[in-house]
Amino acid sequence: MKLRLGYLALPLLTAAAFTTQARADGQTIAVFTKNQTNPYFQTVRVGADVAAKALNAKTLQYIPTKPDSIPEQLSQIEDVVVKKPSAIVFIPVDYKAMVPGVEKINDAKIPVVNITDRSAGGKFVSFVGADDYSLGLETARYLLKTLGGKGNIVIIEGVKGSLTNVDRVRGFNDALKETPGAKLLASQPGNYQRLQALQVMENLMQSNSQIDGVLAANDAMAVGAIEALDGANRKAQVIGINGTKEAIDAIKSGKLLASGDYNGFAQGCLGTMMAIRNLREQPVVAEIVLKPTVITKDNFGPFDVPLEQRACPTWEEAQKLGTK
Amino acid sequence: MTDITKEAISPPRSFLSQDAIQVFYRLLAALLICAVLAVLSDSFLSLGNILNVLRQASLTFFIASGLTLVVLTAGLDLSVGANVALSACLAGTVIHQTGSPVLGVVTALVAGGIVGLLNGVMVTALRIPSFIATYGMLWVLNGLTYWYMAGDTIHGFPAGFRQIGSGYLFGLPIPVYLLVVFLAIGTLFAQRTIWGQEIYAIGANPVAARLSGIPVVRRLLLVYAVSGTMAGLASIIFLSRLNSAEADIGESLTLPAIAAVLIGGTSLFGGVGTVFGTFVGALILTLVLNGMNLLSVSANWQPLVTGIIVILAVWLDMKTRRRTQ
Repeated sequence: MKLRLGYLALPLLTAAAFTTQARADGQTIAVFTKNQTNPYFQTVRVGADVAAKALNAKTLQYIPTKPDSIPEQLSQIEDVVVKKPSAIVFIPVDYKAMVPGVEKINDAKIPVVNITDRSAGGKFVSFVGADDYSLGLETARYLLKTLGGKGNIVIIEGVKGSLTNVDRVRGFNDALKETPGAKLLASQPGNYQRLQALQVMENLMQSNSQIDGVLAANDAMAVGAIEALDGANRKAQVIGINGTKEAIDAIKSGKLLASGDYNGFAQGCLGTMMAIRNLREQPVVAEIVLKPTVITKDNFGPFDVPLEQRACPTWEEAQKLGTK
Repeated sequence: MTDITKEAISPPRSFLSQDAIQVFYRLLAALLICAVLAVLSDSFLSLGNILNVLRQASLTFFIASGLTLVVLTAGLDLSVGANVALSACLAGTVIHQTGSPVLGVVTALVAGGIVGLLNGVMVTALRIPSFIATYGMLWVLNGLTYWYMAGDTIHGFPAGFRQIGSGYLFGLPIPVYLLVVFLAIGTLFAQRTIWGQEIYAIGANPVAARLSGIPVVRRLLLVYAVSGTMAGLASIIFLSRLNSAEADIGESLTLPAIAAVLIGGTSLFGGVGTVFGTFVGALILTLVLNGMNLLSVSANWQPLVTGIIVILAVWLDMKTRRRTQ
């Protein structure tokens, strides 16, 4: 009987030891993302979780229930300032409007790392982001190269006026300018919505008998455009942006030419890593702007792995990615 | 008072009434837009484009047709788009899990219908104004759908199922057949059945309707359930056309559906309007977007033009209504 108790006690003691160990460095990182609807932010959240787990910390996710709601994110900041997490990883729902929120965090002396959308103000430990412009430029260049530097192109734009869309479309257009053989037929709004992109594509096919390439500002719209092309028995090379699971599947089956990866997973990882390193008084990288990856049929492998099973960059790799 | 009571218990309306005149004005507006687009774009009047417009208008119409009945009772259903999103995600899961499109369709219709019925219960039993009840429902549905999908999409459905939204029969898109069927059912129901007439009466004056023996609660439950079920049907069309379900489709569907009902001449104050008008409303909205795509109108101007068309349509409605009354 005693013996049995001993066996029981051993794992309990070990568990207790681990708990104290975890508590010793178990900081809580509050992660702010913009919405629950865009898969991109899901990749950020999982990246943050994976990094926190690896570094023996935990995350608390803050997501506005109404997508991209400025007042909601502001009130979430107020809540967080009261709750006092160890550090914050922050994506502002609006890079200008959230500046007062960031200042509130600064006043509360909670260290904060800015990721994805660069805040227009406030003090940050680090910035980790990618570059929408080069994402648009590189994906469009890839499409135009595949088409042999010529052809009729249409652009399907995201939400007009949103920062991501402005920069991505600017990148598309600059790639087109470099390619005199390519002709831009139309640049029409799909508002990042699959249905709207499908309908826009259906309409454009009515007035354009030959469309060779489609540049869509996100994957959902790219896939919508492909559905429209399939429905009309027409073929064109299509690219999207974001590297969603759906896009990877479409690249695998040869329906989608390529998707630009905004590295949401890496951004979540690196942002959380910087926050935790800062808390533990280890050196951090002040700024990392990740190079866009054009995901194609030749390199989709690492993106075809479930997010939870992907590995975060190591500190050594992160240092090399740093631009400042 | 005598006037209103008379209206509430008046004999079934003929289609050639006030409402018919309103529909006539709307058709005229739609034709005017067509004429302008035909002049500006060579491709507008092609058969392909006309079928295109009808198929695109059908999705908005399915959502808006049930909604028309709700608005006829002086109510509003703000949850239709969120209902489409949830129904689509549930139906998509069922089709993936069971491999049976039939079960998927049943799931969407039942889920949509239950949500509608819950709206009806909130409006009748709890006496919550429909605007608030269905606005609350919108959040509940969004919350459930976001949680359920966790930022993922469900994509890839059997080819047979894809036919519903993308297929053709004798050269016409299948959604266009469904459009004709539901337009006929909706119009006959509203104009030619006692229940339909009772719905108009409830919208014109709920007190008079109750006093004249109309089972107001049951009719209201019916219209909200129909609105929800039509959202379920729309989700099937959506799913089979787009080959994909995602959580964030609701917002982009609700306001166009409401706009289609209002452009179609159904009054927010209830008792006035037709399902056919709603079809014309959906058509006008689709025509405007189709035309702007064909003419390559800059993405900057498209929301502005759409907004102006909506305002103009409703303003014209008020004007013609005053004149004919």
